[in-house]
Amino acid sequence: MLEVLTNPNKFFEARMKGEESLRIPVLIVLISGIISGLSSFLQNSITVKMMSEVPPEAQGIVSIMPTVSAIGLVMFFLIFWVFVAAIFYLISCIFKGEGDFNRTLEFVGYGYIPMIFGGIIGAILMYTIVSTAHIPVVTDPAKMAEALGLLLKSPMMLLSYAISFLFMLWSANIWIFGLKHARNLTTKNAVITITIPVASYYIIMTYVLWTISQMGVM
Amino acid sequence: MRQTIPTFIFLFFFVIAVATSGVSAANTASSATEEQKASVVISDCQVNPTALMCNDIGTVTVTIKNMEIYKSVNIKEVQMLSQGLKVLSDSYFNPGSLGSGGDLRLTFTIKATCPDGIYYPKVMVNGEGAQSIRYSFPVTVDSSSLTIGVKDVPEDIFRGERAKIELVVGNPRPNNVTAVKIVTEDKDVMPAEVFIGTLSADNSEVAAFYFTPQAKGDCVLNFKLQFKNGDNHHFTDLSVPLNVTESKKSAELILTGIEVEFIPGMNVYKITGDINNAGLEAANSVVMKVGDAEGIEAMQPYKAYFVGLLNADDFSSFELNVKVGENETQVPLLIEYKDEDGILFSEHEYISIESSPGTASTGELPVPMIAVVIVIAILVIGMIAYSWKKR
Repeated sequence: MLEVLTNPNKFFEARMKGEESLRIPVLIVLISGIISGLSSFLQNSITVKMMSEVPPEAQGIVSIMPTVSAIGLVMFFLIFWVFVAAIFYLISCIFKGEGDFNRTLEFVGYGYIPMIFGGIIGAILMYTIVSTAHIPVVTDPAKMAEALGLLLKSPMMLLSYAISFLFMLWSANIWIFGLKHARNLTTKNAVITITIPVASYYIIMTYVLWTISQMGVM
Repeated sequence: MRQTIPTFIFLFFFVIAVATSGVSAANTASSATEEQKASVVISDCQVNPTALMCNDIGTVTVTIKNMEIYKSVNIKEVQMLSQGLKVLSDSYFNPGSLGSGGDLRLTFTIKATCPDGIYYPKVMVNGEGAQSIRYSFPVTVDSSSLTIGVKDVPEDIFRGERAKIELVVGNPRPNNVTAVKIVTEDKDVMPAEVFIGTLSADNSEVAAFYFTPQAKGDCVLNFKLQFKNGDNHHFTDLSVPLNVTESKKSAELILTGIEVEFIPGMNVYKITGDINNAGLEAANSVVMKVGDAEGIEAMQPYKAYFVGLLNADDFSSFELNVKVGENETQVPLLIEYKDEDGILFSEHEYISIESSPGTASTGELPVPMIAVVIVIAILVIGMIAYSWKKR
């Protein structure tokens, strides 16, 4: 299994000889989703602390926010896995890729392994932020964006994003080799197929984070 | 001889007859004069105030009475003359006719423009068919003022503690004075005015003031004694020098163990420490706040910290959150507490942000964290590079 991290080309080449199986990829994606869900739970607990003085009738909704977001993120990971595989599959069609979707889905799932490590480190960082950061109590909803913006701009949070991006890059590298074999592409076409959506993801995420951080400045 | 004796007898009786007729004529003439000059007297004379002070204005009221039973008198002129006092009012000309037994009250205004002493102004009354009267009466001029002094003041006066100051007002004058009051403009003295009212001659009254000094050191309390002698206002000043010191027993709040911690990303400093009562008395309702200053803003959840009762030799921890502007290096803290009388005290302390221990760097990543990122980045890039090398 570790070969997928050190030598993905050889790993996927070997896997192509075996039967298609989504059992392990589902497990990998699920673990990755649970770890990210834990991180999300911690992140949302900050929001709950900020809103600790909201009216009692709103307290119920606020208090279940972390749990709902954690479960939602696990589900999102599973859906996103299929979505990403579909994107890769469609783009690879441009390069006349061959091979069924299940194989693509399986290999993309293996690519989530680095995200498990990234998720663990991110969760540790998030726990550090939650346990040490001064979380202001926000009574005015208009100031929520400002308070969150300041928190999202904190160095620890930026570090968390940086690590997340690095592990995403590692995953993209695995996907390149995975798609090369799953869709029978040249290495060059596989790189293009993966780079387009991943680069788009990076650009969109950077823009979103920059927008949120600007809320704190205003 | 016989002719001499009868002549002598004739002359004797003649002389007696002449003498008798002379006495009778004189008696007749005297009765005629009494019928022409009626009797008018000054029946009363009042001076108000009974004793004037120098430059005081007073009044003299004289009562002229017709003592005749059957005859009225027409008063032609009434005037007052004085060598020492100044008569401000004019003489009365033809003030009216006095019926039999009737009286007339006339008032003159005088001013004491003379040194202290007893003066005798004269009232002159001229009436038609009446005797002229010259009536002198005494007017006392005594410039001695009311006295004011300190009756009782505490030996030690402490900052923030109420001290009772008793003043005594004495009247050494021979007459009563009215509207006596003591006023002060000192904002730390209560009440601002004590009204005594009428103070009779050779009497004294005590007035109590309460002084709560807000600052220590030498201070002078100024009181003004105001009174009226008749319609004349007078005042006397009293200055009471006092030395205000810090109470030896009162609560003394000091801060120790101050730590200033920067909260990354929030631009907020968390100030923690201990507040200690080093005095001998308890401090009630102790509240710590962030003072007002430009660029300083108290933040939730600890905009203020309520410590409550802090007994002598006791301490309590506190926490405050403050947002500090970029150029600010000090955070003002306001400590408020009350003594057992409910008097509010406030103390100011300044916490240095830069020099305080525990201050974290402002918004920069800790070095170990940067190292972790570099290691991870090297690891990931290394793995990627390795995977490409192995393909």
